[in-house]
Amino acid sequence: MADTQLLLGLSFVLFALGLVGVMVRRNALVMLMCMELMLNAVILALVTFSLETATLSGAVLVFLIFVVAAAEIAIAIPIVLQLSRQRSSLDVEGYDRLKG
Amino acid sequence: MTIEQLLVYFFGACALLGGVLMLVARHPMRVALALISCMLSLAGIYAMLGVHVVAVFQVLIYVGAVMVFMVYVIMLLDVRDPSFLRRYSRVLLPGVVLGALLAGALGISAIRLGAAAIQPGASAAPSYLVQPFSVEFLREYWLHFELTSVLLVAAVVAAIAIIRSGRRSDG
Amino acid sequence: MKLLTVIVLLPLAGFLLNGLLGRRLGRTFVSVVGCGLPLLAFVATVKAVTLLQATGPDAALLEVAYRWASFGDRSFDVAFYFDRLTAVMTLIITGVGSLIHVYSTGYMKDDPGYARYFAYLNLFLFFMLTLVLGRSLLVCFVGWEGVGLASYLLIGFWFEDPAKAAAGKKAFITNRVGDAGFLLGLFLLYWALGTVNMDEINAAFAAPVAPAVSASLVGVLLFIGATGKSAQIPLHVWLPDAMAGPTPVSALIHAATMVTAGVYLVARLHGIYEHAPEASQVVAVIGVLTAFFAATVALVQTDIKKVLAYSTVSQLGLMFLALGVGAYGVAVFHVYTHAFFKACLFLGAGSVIHALGGEQDIRKMGGLWRRIPLTFGTFAVATAAIAGIPPLAGFFSKDEILWFSLASEHGGSPILWVLGSAASLMTSFYMFRLLWLTFLTPSRMSHETEHHVHESPFSMTGVLIVLAVLSAIGGFFELPHFLEPLLPIPAVLESLERYEHTLVYVAVAVALLGFVAATVMYRGGLARGEALAARFPRLHRLLDGKYYVDELYETVLYRPLHWISDRVFLGLGDRLLIDGSLHGLAALTRRASGRLSRVETGQLQWYVAMAVIGVVGCLVWVWRHG
Repeated sequence: MADTQLLLGLSFVLFALGLVGVMVRRNALVMLMCMELMLNAVILALVTFSLETATLSGAVLVFLIFVVAAAEIAIAIPIVLQLSRQRSSLDVEGYDRLKG
Repeated sequence: MTIEQLLVYFFGACALLGGVLMLVARHPMRVALALISCMLSLAGIYAMLGVHVVAVFQVLIYVGAVMVFMVYVIMLLDVRDPSFLRRYSRVLLPGVVLGALLAGALGISAIRLGAAAIQPGASAAPSYLVQPFSVEFLREYWLHFELTSVLLVAAVVAAIAIIRSGRRSDG
Repeated sequence: MKLLTVIVLLPLAGFLLNGLLGRRLGRTFVSVVGCGLPLLAFVATVKAVTLLQATGPDAALLEVAYRWASFGDRSFDVAFYFDRLTAVMTLIITGVGSLIHVYSTGYMKDDPGYARYFAYLNLFLFFMLTLVLGRSLLVCFVGWEGVGLASYLLIGFWFEDPAKAAAGKKAFITNRVGDAGFLLGLFLLYWALGTVNMDEINAAFAAPVAPAVSASLVGVLLFIGATGKSAQIPLHVWLPDAMAGPTPVSALIHAATMVTAGVYLVARLHGIYEHAPEASQVVAVIGVLTAFFAATVALVQTDIKKVLAYSTVSQLGLMFLALGVGAYGVAVFHVYTHAFFKACLFLGAGSVIHALGGEQDIRKMGGLWRRIPLTFGTFAVATAAIAGIPPLAGFFSKDEILWFSLASEHGGSPILWVLGSAASLMTSFYMFRLLWLTFLTPSRMSHETEHHVHESPFSMTGVLIVLAVLSAIGGFFELPHFLEPLLPIPAVLESLERYEHTLVYVAVAVALLGFVAATVMYRGGLARGEALAARFPRLHRLLDGKYYVDELYETVLYRPLHWISDRVFLGLGDRLLIDGSLHGLAALTRRASGRLSRVETGQLQWYVAMAVIGVVGCLVWVWRHG
């Protein structure tokens, strides 16, 4: 008998935490993991809504998110690897070539 | 206050704790472990709510594939660079403030929308157990399933492209 | 067919042909077109005169070429008007003009800018014809400005020499100062009368109901314009400098035609001046003062062309004297005779300069009467004409001017006569001085120059002969009588009527006195003249420095204007305000963009923070509007 609001609240907090983590942490891999946290928060919200509206489409969308997250992490980590190899560091503060 | 509710609260607290630990831990491996625990807690919540399929796949794909890959990469790289010594970037304070603002804004939006309590473990709704869910999934949403395979092909192509460019820059 | 339009457009065609094609098609083409078209214009003018004579004494030919502009129910036309006054002027312009064109084929033979010269000369003829044939003051003003332009182009013909280019500029700018008066007069006339057609203006002033504008005011304003164009005091300073141009140009523009445009304007608008005694007095006084002072300056000049230039200014003064006392026809008569003998004098001077290979200083001439006899003969005839020796042309016109300056009811006075006669005396004196020193005294030429002295080709001497003959017999045609239907001869004071013949003898005596004095002074050469100059050094310096008018203008007008333009307008206005604001705007943009570009830090997390701000903003917006 969990309250929808509580679950949603948890989802929002986790999302905010993930976002803060992306903004705040300096390590590129930690940033990626915080983005995964954001995705998980979204999954929680979707499941909650799916249960509330008593349909399957929420859960199906969760499946698609799993696929996307897997594909994304499979590509994002090699990109970070290449990037870190150029700078020989995982510190995102050093990646400022777009400075204008 | 049934045992189910308590468990849900417990798992929720664990997820929250995992999230906070992610922001605080210094070693990326510890961050990864905090994330894993958070994901497992979330899987627990799904299981308590009766959405078994999602719970299982959360553990299988997310923890089993994604996080393993992440741990592997952490083990591969030397993570003791400047980001290890100084964890936080320049936007620490604005970031925290903005995160709080965002959470508040989202919460207020949710309150305005309103929501009813849901009954975990109810059976009138569609079943989220594995077999009925799968049947329903492939009957109604088979097109979405096929499209995800397209997405995976794109991911494979991208991976090959990265390998190639990596080889060129190495050579 | 539109005869008057054809007369005006023939020289324009010459300008276009010579200007565009002349350089490519060679000297012969340029000469044929350049001289032929003005000759055709002369023939057309003669035809127009015969048409006019057949119509009547005060008739006029009127042709409207096209409608220039129209606003509402008012309109301005380009129209040409041909009465007896116009006929006289047009005959002089096309006739003497054609002769000078023919002369130029010989004089400018070796000049590389041959085609350009004839193009400009034809352009000048076009504008001058527009000036005299125009019916309205607007068309006249187009011609007025145009001749100023042609004069500038021709004075500065050898523009590589900065002094010559500066002379052209000075002429043009001085003309423009006068044009301000012309324009103001024009505007006042249009505002009061609603028309700019000169015949209608004259009629309006003669009507029983006087127009709403003061005739004297308009008269003075238009006279200011005439002062600029006809080189009267105080705008006379450009004419001596204009001698920098080729000598045929000086003959055509600055003796025979352009400088008489002011005289033509006042004569044409006699209707205004007949009813403006104050303006007429101003005209007469300025005229006689110019005549007197220019003659005094000519006494000491040593450049052959400068003597003739000051002589022109002086003669123009006499013409304005005649206009000022109401003898409009007499003034035009003097324009007519002056065109002949002054052109002959200038062209003769050109022949002398040509013979001496460029020498213009009379102190280095002498003994030329045997070497270049034709030039000498024609020059002598013209000199006698300008001095006023009967029965040559100048005598008739000058005598009538002096008579009316004394006796006219319209403003004649003894003072005007005395000053006018003094100017005539000095004219005779300095012209014979010029004749003696240039031709008759023992030679003061350098050996080289003496070797080169040769008579000019027939294209030049032929023209000189024609003009000399005209100077001799031109006076017998009674021009004032011919113009009387249009320009009434003023009435004469009863008391002085019987002195008319006496004054004729006085005038002849004055001319002969000048001749004798010049002979006494200069028969043996420069010695006596220089001794006299040594005895009155300060007077000599004053005259030689042309009363320092140029220096006065430089100090009072030019330097303050230059200072204002440089410091105030250039320094403050242009550099500080305009450039400063533009540069300031650019600097402002640059600095602002510098500051704004700090948003692009290149830091990923900074961008994420920006995006989150946007998301929160969107959420807030959804609350308010959702």
